[in-house]
Amino acid sequence: MKMTQGNDRYDRMVKILKNSRPDLTHPEEIENEVIGRIQRHSQRSGRFSDFIESLFGWVYIGWVRRSLIGVSVVLVAIFVYQQAFIFRQVKNISKQIVITGNESSAVSSSVLDKRLTLYKMSARLSPAGEIRISESQLEELLDSYNDLQVKYKDLLRIIEGDPELKGYIENKLKEDKKYKPDI
Amino acid sequence: MVEKELIEECRNGDLHNFRKVVEKSTPLIFTVAFRILGDEDAARDIVQDTMVAVWQKLSKIKTAESYKTWVYRIAVNKCYDQLRMQKRQKEERIDEREWAVISNHLSEEGITELENRENARIISLLTNQLSPKQKTVFVLSELEGLDSDEIVRITGMAKSVVKANLYYARRNIGSLLQKYL
Repeated sequence: MKMTQGNDRYDRMVKILKNSRPDLTHPEEIENEVIGRIQRHSQRSGRFSDFIESLFGWVYIGWVRRSLIGVSVVLVAIFVYQQAFIFRQVKNISKQIVITGNESSAVSSSVLDKRLTLYKMSARLSPAGEIRISESQLEELLDSYNDLQVKYKDLLRIIEGDPELKGYIENKLKEDKKYKPDI
Repeated sequence: MVEKELIEECRNGDLHNFRKVVEKSTPLIFTVAFRILGDEDAARDIVQDTMVAVWQKLSKIKTAESYKTWVYRIAVNKCYDQLRMQKRQKEERIDEREWAVISNHLSEEGITELENRENARIISLLTNQLSPKQKTVFVLSELEGLDSDEIVRITGMAKSVVKANLYYARRNIGSLLQKYL
């Protein structure tokens, strides 16, 4: 009895639900939205398919065309990866150069200053600011400059130690100055 | 339903005629989606997604005669995916008033027609504890009135699975009605 009553309720409930078809308000909104989506999609895919057509239009067999597209995509991906890898490596190397420069300048900044001065001088001496000096020449110039500086210091020490020589040199310099033309 | 000629014209890329196909297919898709999901907005979205998918796959349809089953399949699969995505709701606190509304409808003379909100709420109350498969089979069989062969073609389930799911759905809903009414 209870089971039959339950079945009746079930059947009646199903009948009510089946009879109650949901009302759709403003179906034209759905139509417009569907057509709009299709048009937007076809515009997008149209541009893409034009691009594919321009690249692979010469292949008429479907699977060959698809394979070519696949291979091209893979190649482009590898190329991009490779470029990114190289770029990263170059970036690392350029960072290392900066570090080396800083270190050497910290160790012997005076030597670098001298180098720079000599380099600038050499540039000033050459016509139209052209720099015509090689690294080895610069080294040579620097060595001779250092050598000259040492000799100059030695000479000063000798002169300071001998008052007679000092007086003689001072007199000589005064005489030299008299005859030197003003520039 | 949608005429064979109309489908053929749409297959040639006639968007103007496809608007007519949308117009004719919308009530069918909306009803089944509404009954499965129990939500008007979600059902409207399903209609849109289904019709866009129909347009994109129109060239794949073998015969215009199978259009209805084919559209059903797309819509039901989309609903089924959505059901699976939603976590199975925990047993809702049963509101006596809602069951009283159902009781009133059952005791009324003749068959009453429910409004959308009431309709959705009752379907939700009755099918809340069903699995997505059971719910889909229940709606297709009991509310849409499709036979088991059609359900097999639409859902891709084996006939025995369809029958088993329908049995469990009926039993579950029957016991709920017995328990609360």
